[in-house]
Amino acid sequence: MARKLVTGNFAAGHALALAGEANRRARGCAGGAYPITPQTEIIEYLRRFEFSKGRIVPVESEHSAMAVCMGASLGGARTFTASSSNGLAYMAENVFAAGFYRLPIVMVAVNRTLGPPWNIWVDQGDSLALRDAAWLQLYTDSHQDLVDTILLAFRVAEDPRVMLPTMVAMDGFVTSHTQMVVDLPEQEQVDAFLSTGCDVPHRLNVNRPTTVGGLTWPKETEHHRREIQDAMENVPAVLEEAINEFEGVFGRRPDGAIAAEHTEDAETVLVACNTMARTLRGVVAERRTAGTKIGMIKSKLFRPFPRQAFRDALSGVKRVGVLDRNHSPGSGGIFWPEIATSLSDQSDTIVQDYLVGLGGGDVTPEALDEIVEDLLQRECSGDPVWKEVAA
Amino acid sequence: MSTSTIEGQSDGVTQCEHLLRAGNTNCAGCGMSLGLLWLGEALDGHMPLVVIPACCGIVTAGAFPTTSYSAPVAASTFASSPAVATGLSAVAEMNQEDNPVICWAGDGGTYDIGIATLSAAAERNENIIYICYDNEIYGNTGGQRSSATPEGVFTTTSPAGKSERKKDIMAIMAAHRIPYAATLSIAHRDDFLRKLRTARDKQGFRFLLIHSPCPTGWKSEPEESVELVRHAVDCGLFPLYEVHDGRRYRVTIRPDPPTPEAVDKYVSRQRRFRHGMLDTDKLIRQIEDQWRYLDVMAREFSADDAIR
Amino acid sequence: MIEMTIYGRGGQGGVTLAKLIANAYFLEGKHVQAFGVYAAERSGAPLQAYVRIDDVEITNHNQIRTPDHVIVLDRTLTTPCVLTGHKPDGWVILNSPEPPDAFAELFPGRQVATIDATTIAVTNGLGTRTVPIVNTTMLGAVGRVLGLTLDDVTGALAEVNFGGGNITAATRAFETVRAERLAGAVAAPATPPKAGKIMGLLDDEVGGHPRIHTGDWTTRQPHRQQLAPPCNNGCPAGNDVRGFVEAMAKGDHNEALRILLETSPLPGVCGRVCPAPCMDACNRQEFDESINIRELERFAADEGHPHVAIRGVGEPHRWRDETVAVVGSGPAGLSAAYHLARLAYRVTLLERDSELGGVMRTGIPAYRLPRDVLDREIKFIVDHGIEVKTGTSVDQEELLRLTHSFSAVFVGTGLQHLRSVDLGNGSAEAGDKTVEQGLAFLDRIRVDPESLTGLHVIVIGGGNTAMDAARSARRLGAKVEVVYRRTREQMPAIREEIEEAVEEGIVLRELVSPVRLRHDGVGPLLTCVRMRLGEPDDSGRPRPEQETSEDAYFDMRCDRVLLALGQSSDLSILPEGSEVRNQESLLGLTGAPVFAGGDFAANDGTVTAAIGSGRSTAWHIHRTLSGEDLFPPPAEAVAGSDVLHTHVFSHAPRAESKTLSMKERRQSFTEVRSGLSAADNSVEAVAEAGRCFSCGVCTVCDRCMDYCPEGILLRSGGGYEVDFEYCKGCGICAAECPRGVIYMADL
Repeated sequence: MARKLVTGNFAAGHALALAGEANRRARGCAGGAYPITPQTEIIEYLRRFEFSKGRIVPVESEHSAMAVCMGASLGGARTFTASSSNGLAYMAENVFAAGFYRLPIVMVAVNRTLGPPWNIWVDQGDSLALRDAAWLQLYTDSHQDLVDTILLAFRVAEDPRVMLPTMVAMDGFVTSHTQMVVDLPEQEQVDAFLSTGCDVPHRLNVNRPTTVGGLTWPKETEHHRREIQDAMENVPAVLEEAINEFEGVFGRRPDGAIAAEHTEDAETVLVACNTMARTLRGVVAERRTAGTKIGMIKSKLFRPFPRQAFRDALSGVKRVGVLDRNHSPGSGGIFWPEIATSLSDQSDTIVQDYLVGLGGGDVTPEALDEIVEDLLQRECSGDPVWKEVAA
Repeated sequence: MSTSTIEGQSDGVTQCEHLLRAGNTNCAGCGMSLGLLWLGEALDGHMPLVVIPACCGIVTAGAFPTTSYSAPVAASTFASSPAVATGLSAVAEMNQEDNPVICWAGDGGTYDIGIATLSAAAERNENIIYICYDNEIYGNTGGQRSSATPEGVFTTTSPAGKSERKKDIMAIMAAHRIPYAATLSIAHRDDFLRKLRTARDKQGFRFLLIHSPCPTGWKSEPEESVELVRHAVDCGLFPLYEVHDGRRYRVTIRPDPPTPEAVDKYVSRQRRFRHGMLDTDKLIRQIEDQWRYLDVMAREFSADDAIR
Repeated sequence: MIEMTIYGRGGQGGVTLAKLIANAYFLEGKHVQAFGVYAAERSGAPLQAYVRIDDVEITNHNQIRTPDHVIVLDRTLTTPCVLTGHKPDGWVILNSPEPPDAFAELFPGRQVATIDATTIAVTNGLGTRTVPIVNTTMLGAVGRVLGLTLDDVTGALAEVNFGGGNITAATRAFETVRAERLAGAVAAPATPPKAGKIMGLLDDEVGGHPRIHTGDWTTRQPHRQQLAPPCNNGCPAGNDVRGFVEAMAKGDHNEALRILLETSPLPGVCGRVCPAPCMDACNRQEFDESINIRELERFAADEGHPHVAIRGVGEPHRWRDETVAVVGSGPAGLSAAYHLARLAYRVTLLERDSELGGVMRTGIPAYRLPRDVLDREIKFIVDHGIEVKTGTSVDQEELLRLTHSFSAVFVGTGLQHLRSVDLGNGSAEAGDKTVEQGLAFLDRIRVDPESLTGLHVIVIGGGNTAMDAARSARRLGAKVEVVYRRTREQMPAIREEIEEAVEEGIVLRELVSPVRLRHDGVGPLLTCVRMRLGEPDDSGRPRPEQETSEDAYFDMRCDRVLLALGQSSDLSILPEGSEVRNQESLLGLTGAPVFAGGDFAANDGTVTAAIGSGRSTAWHIHRTLSGEDLFPPPAEAVAGSDVLHTHVFSHAPRAESKTLSMKERRQSFTEVRSGLSAADNSVEAVAEAGRCFSCGVCTVCDRCMDYCPEGILLRSGGGYEVDFEYCKGCGICAAECPRGVIYMADL
């Protein structure tokens, strides 16, 4: 383990590469590489890395980057790529294909506002637009969380009980281009953690010809969708197992589906993800010091949505404020209804949505504190509230 | 022909049944069916990994969980077959497996929606045999124009007859300087098999274009499928040639210069060409023009050296 | 609510029919719904379409499971399956030429209506011959049965701009549909098969064949037939021409010879002197040039080994008790003797001359038929255990005697009567050779070649004897002219003989007829008259008529005149009142049956015809003596060029025999043609044989198998077998069969 000062992109590239290299004793690794700001450094890292059994294909589009991953995954290799914003939108068809084919591809999504207009800064609308693609989605709040979650992602995605692709998201620039100190794992540690080689049960097999993804009648399609739902429901337990083993190998314990702070006796709880959750941590700590019964939840696993974890953590809480750095036009924030639905048996709980930091503006502690103040005053929930970003 | 089933594989060579099994849903008289059978034959027992994008070729695989193919097949999204094949080929190579990786795509997936992916895979010289069965129409969706549809053809999306010429995909592929590109006709079996075997024995990106009759889309009699594409070769409309390394040309079947009679034999029995509305003189000029180009290439940049 | 299910095939227009029915009811003010099952179905695949009709808004959008009426567009879909969910009081409306009660067993107790929609649709030009589009026709029938008016029906068609044949067809169906309730108790509808286990995406058992029985999609199937190749059909000897050529193409000369020897013991002779009607009949002529069958036959005879080709020659034989006398050892007699001996009859061959062969020896010059070839083949025949008596003339008395000492007698004495002409020169003195019969000349010079150097010889006639005499005289040094009363075009001689005669310097005087011969002191002078061609005579050739102009007559200086005016049989050998009929029997005899063959029985004038006649007469004799009939069943239809698909073949010039130089030809009786080259493993002959189309007869070329898009046409025994379970009936096997062996037949 080496403590290094690196960018988020470097950390992500490093984690992907080590995971790929770890599969050298099985069928190797592969991925597609196509640049887009602010993801570019990741694929540069991957193209630089000298895999002993792997190939990163410099493709002509994100669509093909995912297609290469699908082909390689059907060939039994460990596969991964990274993208962002319009790249994810362009890739979308194959993102869905990878999900419905149940190929355990890991993709780093560097969150960036979808254009037009031309905007390269962070919001989560790009990855959340793909929430129904049968992918696991994990949102990370720091460089360490990013590295650890990428490694966990391979374990969970490739687990036979799951066998689904997994997206690990970070904030564009705020994480991707910011240097922070991180414990970078060694290859031997990753080899140990990912000691089970990657393969897929429906690998193209010359001894047992099948057509993967051909015509499927409604009855079978319905059945396959239910299988995906079942697999999704296995995720929390599989993730927990993986974290336990991670701790054994690396000596630290990454966050799970959610990370709750001060929620045990809290009357008011805020929910946020990515770096916004870290900013929020400071704000909540100050309010605690001032005697407010307030807590917070860092929401990490978005698909499958950990309803039970939220239910447990928010039991008896009076007010829940959801901070959404994303927007579904005509509805509001995208985490908000997910959380509200989880609490449908707590009819007294106020669940208020705050749209904040859209288009990549800074979300300052002051702005968050104003939101806290607003929430504490609420007697009932209302329409989503737009919180203007700092200039 | 062997019809034994596939049992136990060793060193990549197995006795295999037809690549496309009987009891598939292709229309009677489909050119693609013959192409697939002959592809299997030319592979001489080397079991391929096949990638098929959206097209009749994937529909004919049949409904889950069955498959009409005796080789493993991945159904890719419409534009993605060369990229999916890239992934498969990369993994096969790093695991020292020599099963040929084959893309089997229609003209829509090749000339239109998939051309960027195709171009990229060709530029990277991926170790793939890409085969386009060109029936000059979106057949799977009921007969719409593609950029492979010849000028003058009536489709549901060119109701007044297509006003643009067919795209010269071979020139595009040759421009990538890939190791091998060739045109194939199911009316010329020996030439067809030879080119498949030539492609099989090379490495890198290989592109094969099959003129594939579609009785449903061409509005022709199924029994005339082979005869029609033979007339297409005879009248010069579909030249049979090969390009080595994108530079060295060789014409493999040389028809007589085009005549209105020869052209008529081809077009008159397809109701997609409406009788009397086709400008035969113009078509003949285009055929002559195409052949002038091929002749110059075959003379000035002969493939004979390359083959030796 | 009324619900209907339509059973059809992709391409027949079932969904359109649903829409048309809906349209007819819509025009009546009803609420309607029409739709098809959309899946991956292809042309010919069974599919369903549905119609709902109600007085109130229709809210159910699902497939129909319990239809009131079912409509079946295709005969092959008319099975009890269509009754699934059918309500017994509804109609079953079928596309069928049969009356409703023909379906009493299939659909007992149901109300059934039938209409021959296929015939009506085809008559009105709807669809293709593979897939007739019957939907508009069926609309007429459905409309009538369900109580719509003809206006509703035509209105529905007009609504979607269907005119012309569609209106006529629908109207015809409306008027002629037959409907009744069938007798019997309504049978329980078929229960749908139970669904199997639903497989998971990642299950191990994924895979396996879909095995869709695509054979159900088709209305026609390929079948095989054998046709008579035109060459076989045209061979007077009855040779399996195609068969021996095929063996040649495989380089198997012995097999080729064996096939020839089945029918003709004289292939070396035929391969030289036959006019080859087979080549005139050859379908390849229309493609480029006929196969050089004559040279191939000669090649097989010269290069093959008869004792290898036919086993058992000369070996001890279990002879039959019956004996046969064969009179005359020309081609007919030799052929008859050969075939009878092969059938184990004891044959005695009687010949007037000292050597066997008849006209083949005495009348055909050696430059066309070398003696060693003739001797070789005669020896082969005699080696079959035939007793030969040369120098034995048979007259009427002797013939009667033979009928009492043999079980049967064959007479093949050929054409002994030579036609002559009176040239007014009186009876010739002994030894005067000024006017001589051509055949006598040929026989004489064969034994004693006489130099004619410096002499002027005129040959009268246009047949093979005329050419033989002229070319022989030329070889003996004479200047030769051939006088013929018609034109070269009408000469009965073999084309090549005429051509070669002209090449050798013989002058043809066409449209000239001799009148008289006189001596003017200088020498003989032949007066001739010019002729012109008139109307066709009985032979179909133009009748020659004398010119009447003053200068019609002219004189030709000459030293010799050779007559070649034709021959006829000499029937004096037979008892008075005898008649030759069908080669079979002669009247006025009391002993064993007498059979006649060859030119004696039917003047065909060729060696080949005589050989064929000898064989068939031998079979007649065999049938008479043993009761066994060797005659083949009636011949198949002849494979004309229209059944062939010649695109498979590439143009190739015919291989020709090498010939002697002109100088040699003018001086010697050495054989003019030396045949195809046997060099390089007979590559030339094999290639020539390879040009054969094998019209109407399968050569197991595999093209049908190679081109079957389903891969279900496989070799089986000596031919092929189609797996009809999966045959979609595309017809490519038939279209690609080069020889017309495969054809498509409606189910």
